[in-house]
Amino acid sequence: MAKKILRINMTSLKAVYEDVPERWSRWAGRGLTSAITCEEVDPLCHPLGPNNKLIIAPGWVTGSPAAPSSGRTSFGGKSPLTGGIKESNAGGLSGQMIAKLGLAAIVVEGTPAKGKWYTLVVSKDGVKFEDASDLLGKGMYEVDELLWKKYPKTAVIGIGQAGEMKLSNAGISVNDPENKPGRYAGRGGMGAVMGSRGVKAMVIVDAGGPGVEISNQDLFKQGRKKLTESIQEHGLTKKGGGLNSFGTAVLVNILNEAGGLPTRNFSAGQFEGATKISGEAMAEVCEKRGGEGTMGHGCHPGCIIKCSNIYPNESGEAIVSCIEYETTWAMGANCGIDNLDFIAQMTRECNDIGLDTIEAGNAVAVAMEGGLLPFGDAEGALKTFDEIRKGTPLGRILGQGVEATAKAFGVSRVPVVKHQSMPAYEPRAVKGIGVTYATTPMGADHTAGYTIAPEIAGVSGKLDPLSDEGKAELSLTFQAATAFIDSTGYCLFIAFPILDIAKGWEGMAESVSGVTGLNITGADVIPIGKEILKMERLFNEKAGFTAEDDRPPEFMREESLPPHNVKWSITNEQLDSVYAWVHNGEPA
Amino acid sequence: MINVNVSLYGSLARFGGGRHVAQINVELEANSGKLDLLTHLSIPEKERGYLFINAVLCEVPGIRTGANEPLHNGDHIGIFSVDRLYPYQYRDGLPISEGLKKTLEKHGVMHHSYGK
Repeated sequence: MAKKILRINMTSLKAVYEDVPERWSRWAGRGLTSAITCEEVDPLCHPLGPNNKLIIAPGWVTGSPAAPSSGRTSFGGKSPLTGGIKESNAGGLSGQMIAKLGLAAIVVEGTPAKGKWYTLVVSKDGVKFEDASDLLGKGMYEVDELLWKKYPKTAVIGIGQAGEMKLSNAGISVNDPENKPGRYAGRGGMGAVMGSRGVKAMVIVDAGGPGVEISNQDLFKQGRKKLTESIQEHGLTKKGGGLNSFGTAVLVNILNEAGGLPTRNFSAGQFEGATKISGEAMAEVCEKRGGEGTMGHGCHPGCIIKCSNIYPNESGEAIVSCIEYETTWAMGANCGIDNLDFIAQMTRECNDIGLDTIEAGNAVAVAMEGGLLPFGDAEGALKTFDEIRKGTPLGRILGQGVEATAKAFGVSRVPVVKHQSMPAYEPRAVKGIGVTYATTPMGADHTAGYTIAPEIAGVSGKLDPLSDEGKAELSLTFQAATAFIDSTGYCLFIAFPILDIAKGWEGMAESVSGVTGLNITGADVIPIGKEILKMERLFNEKAGFTAEDDRPPEFMREESLPPHNVKWSITNEQLDSVYAWVHNGEPA
Repeated sequence: MINVNVSLYGSLARFGGGRHVAQINVELEANSGKLDLLTHLSIPEKERGYLFINAVLCEVPGIRTGANEPLHNGDHIGIFSVDRLYPYQYRDGLPISEGLKKTLEKHGVMHHSYGK
């Protein structure tokens, strides 16, 4: 059975199933959300107005039987934070269930009558529009719990109070296997887009769905086997490897040792308290306190990497799942806070209110620089989340993200690109990532240019990492590879085994081909990724973005970053060369 | 004599009395270098991954530079076990030692698993 697009109109409260048009049939995940956004969303529309849409799409292999670590769901549309195109993806339960319903995408459009809020229950029988007034004002922990009482073992997609207030830092929550709201399509304010459609929550009931059709079983099984084996063999992704043992926060100490851990609102590259907020420290806390605390937690069924964690309180009861690298950095080093218990509580607040932890932590750090609180004031930082939950004027400023907070507090060190705040890698120390921050259509985003080794992609990588040459070409390759992986439904962390182990690379391409019937090989990855980037880039141009938006913030050219005492040195011409191919006739 | 501060991460923490992370001060003869410190700590070579001296990358997993970068009083050295996550794009542009630079020029482009 061919996949369908489910179009939900919140003005008429009607839902229809449509065939996937031929021109979109080769897309899934990010490729599909971006294709639909480009075609159906006016780039000049107000992101919270009636002409924006929320597009939800699982990846190519998501929901296929036992494709390893393949539970991602892409959420796309025009971003209230950046004003450009946005794709933000999450783990959790939703992707596999949407795919098992035979859906290529769900398009949520229109706006209901003023003051009306709905829970959309999506099942094999269609869509039920349930009055959500009983859920209004509630955080996501309670929303997930209430909806599972009525619809147990379902996927719950929802927004907290931040999304209801349509704050630019509102994310979209997806529940995890324990029905906790820790999986976020956090970046870019897509929770506000969902809120502006009048949707408080979506329940995905996959029972009785047709499942995911496999075009070529033998090829799929062959690819799945190769990919699974490579994940299980690789030192970073295997059981007991770096990610499984210490989570993504395994990066804290290494970036700190490298002088690339942004500290106290990007004023230094090393934090004296880094070891206390690292993945190693989390593992020690989990072992000491026991109870529900654990590393090696999986965020969705079928994950074999399991880089999530459940952080416990002193009694061993779960505070939150999970504390990611970017989260412990944003709430920790960047705010001068070295207390994991407070970081865990702030993370829980973000998960409940519905906030992106990167933007939220950065906003607190900017407010600290502006004098609201001293750096290191963990109790004060935690209280700021009450302000957002209650929607006080201060809370609404913080909830709008870094740029609004900087304006409100008169701060000029504003770590944003395209209005979105930077993640946990200092571009002055680690220049390669800075090119990606500056040029990706998504705004400053570490996942927009994910790992791909230069020789694998056929790029003549520079041996001298101190040189600024070659970084534009490398960044484009990274960005294209990421756009492809974001379309597969696989977790980005498969990047390590597929790049280091030849059969993993083959396995990814074969499993995608096996499911879809598309003839995709490893050689197609970068060209397909570039096609997606071109769509996104052109959308942004129509939305008014120019080359001047592909720039790091001014202070990075003016201020030297300790300990290396380096400034941003890559020229604007080099940055402009990353996407020059879009208009020079070069094929993707 | 010189005193250096050493952070040991992952399974290497046991060489400093820790579980997953340890920080110790080590006294070495004057004019000692990186290799002298590693000998002093008795860390098996196959367990060593990334190594930084004062935020400069000097060693990567699977490749031994053989360089004996000099250490000075008050230096900080961070040593990671081999299972560290450190994606390429997060080290592209990072300061690295002359010894590592020369080794990488012979070995080829940077990769996740240098031994492959």
